[in-house]
Amino acid sequence: MERLKKVSIILQLINNLKDNNSKCGETHIQKAMYFLQALKKVPTDFDFILYKHGPFSFDLRDELTSMRADQLLEIHANIYHSGLSLLPTESGKELIKHFPKTLEKFEKQIDFVAENCIGNKGAAKLERISTALFLTLRSDKAKKEIMEELVVLKPHISKEKAVEAVEFIEKITLQAQNIN
Amino acid sequence: MTKIFHEIRDPIHTFIKIHSDEREIIKSEPFQRLRYIHQLAMTYLVYPGATHRRFEHSLGVMELADRVFNVVTNPYNVNDRIKEYIPKESYTLEYWRRVLRIAALCHDMGHLPFSHAAEKELLPNRWNHEKLTREIILCDQMKEIWRKLTPAIEPLHIVKLALGPKEASDLNFDTWETLLSDIIVGDGFGVDRIDYLLRDSYHIGVAYGKFDHYRLIDTLRIIVTDSVNDHDEKDKEYKCLGVEEGGFLSAEALLLARYFMFSQVYFHHVRRIYDIHLKDFLKLWLPDGKYPTSVNKHLAYTDNEILVGLKECSLNVNSKSYGYAKKILNRAHFKLIYQRNHSDYSVNPEAAEKIYEALQKEFGYDKVRIDSYSQKEGSLDFPVLMKNGEVESSMILSQNLNNIPVVKVNFIFADSDIKDKAEKWIDDNKREIIKLEKESDDGAS
Repeated sequence: MERLKKVSIILQLINNLKDNNSKCGETHIQKAMYFLQALKKVPTDFDFILYKHGPFSFDLRDELTSMRADQLLEIHANIYHSGLSLLPTESGKELIKHFPKTLEKFEKQIDFVAENCIGNKGAAKLERISTALFLTLRSDKAKKEIMEELVVLKPHISKEKAVEAVEFIEKITLQAQNIN
Repeated sequence: MTKIFHEIRDPIHTFIKIHSDEREIIKSEPFQRLRYIHQLAMTYLVYPGATHRRFEHSLGVMELADRVFNVVTNPYNVNDRIKEYIPKESYTLEYWRRVLRIAALCHDMGHLPFSHAAEKELLPNRWNHEKLTREIILCDQMKEIWRKLTPAIEPLHIVKLALGPKEASDLNFDTWETLLSDIIVGDGFGVDRIDYLLRDSYHIGVAYGKFDHYRLIDTLRIIVTDSVNDHDEKDKEYKCLGVEEGGFLSAEALLLARYFMFSQVYFHHVRRIYDIHLKDFLKLWLPDGKYPTSVNKHLAYTDNEILVGLKECSLNVNSKSYGYAKKILNRAHFKLIYQRNHSDYSVNPEAAEKIYEALQKEFGYDKVRIDSYSQKEGSLDFPVLMKNGEVESSMILSQNLNNIPVVKVNFIFADSDIKDKAEKWIDDNKREIIKLEKESDDGAS
């Protein structure tokens, strides 16, 4: 996919995350893009690895930085929730208008991920569910084995939370298949 | 009595202390090779002092890694939340100090001749200098050294700390290993960065890269922070290197120094065009246009072999790389005709690429070159341990960090015989070339 089309998808995804009460920190954007690519098969071609807090793409991190350099995104440091948000600038909002076909093509996928996968979930939950998706997609192991692997890989995750995460992925995958 | 510790004089750190065991690593072929790899490629053609090598940088990184290790594991600097992540037995702690020092020493062993110049295009897909470093650490010659150390060192521990989780993503890192790798290659306060900024600015003769690294290192801490975005739970902890409030200005100074060095030195346009000419030369000069990836063949290439090749080709008009060799050795490099600017990228973020494509069509592929780079890291956010024990985000505390620009460059260069014509052509045609069209029904824009 051409860079500017990819950029317009990122910008639209952030807009939708914001509408779904996300603080739009980098963790949320990373996890949202992972769901969009891995679960909804939007061909943005970012290379995700299992990193410190779940799936993470250095390509995407670099692209977000590059978008800041192009003044399409800007950092908002919010002293009240002590977090950073990455939000589209006026130039970013203008750029989106040049790619109506691309955004129309992936509109449902973006809406689905922002609303059902990310929303205002906390970082801990996002780490669990995105790691569960990563483990599910990289092998054809049974649900029980995925849960065990999740607990081994992330010892701070309890068995109950691991079960909850894998079941969430099972449910959301079915839902995702029905909304295409 | 036989000496166990030895000293090497160094212009940046005064003395670098090495253990007798570590001398075996320094004496090894992969490490000695670093004496012949310029730290800053052909920057010496612009800044004549930039003749320092990866060898002394690697020693410096080892020295600094040890200093940081001492600070962050000092019991006075470790609170109850951090204690559980640090090995309790002094034997284990000393083992990891040894691994850290060795990893710091070895972290650059995979560098190609002239360091970063043209690494991406001259290695096969998915190879980079970090992967070559890993291959060297795990090769038989080095394994023999690791085995003979007392205690013996597990080679994969060295790999993890030298490369970090990003470059060794197939390996599982525990919290302690992640923290130690951050000491060397971390985005924030990695000692690799601290050493290269200080050393490069010293050799080049610029003050931009200097900052109070003594104060910074003394105030580095392992900091545990709670997740701040959780609405549904508060059980997520982040452990990373941060800084005490008292060292915050030194940390800011490091990040500003980095920005200045990137914008004034590392991305000096003449330095960059020499990298491009070197890459063009090597594509024609190397067998199959690529560097080999086997350890033995990799070790056989240093800057010296390339410089001899350049000289030979420059004396042989029939050589296919004659032209590029002459450009480098006779200072007949391409000239800058366009660089990224706000009025153009605000119309089209890809303005430079569009102009470059149009120039190639108009003047021919061999007459123009583009150099594009965008900074490869996230925001400058790191935890700051306040005097009252609270942890704050650096971005909340500092307006300066928020305003440090992201380094992004686009340079277009042209052969000097078309320079004036090409510049005029850009002026006449730019507006039309960079216009961003609305996407059509078939998805083309």
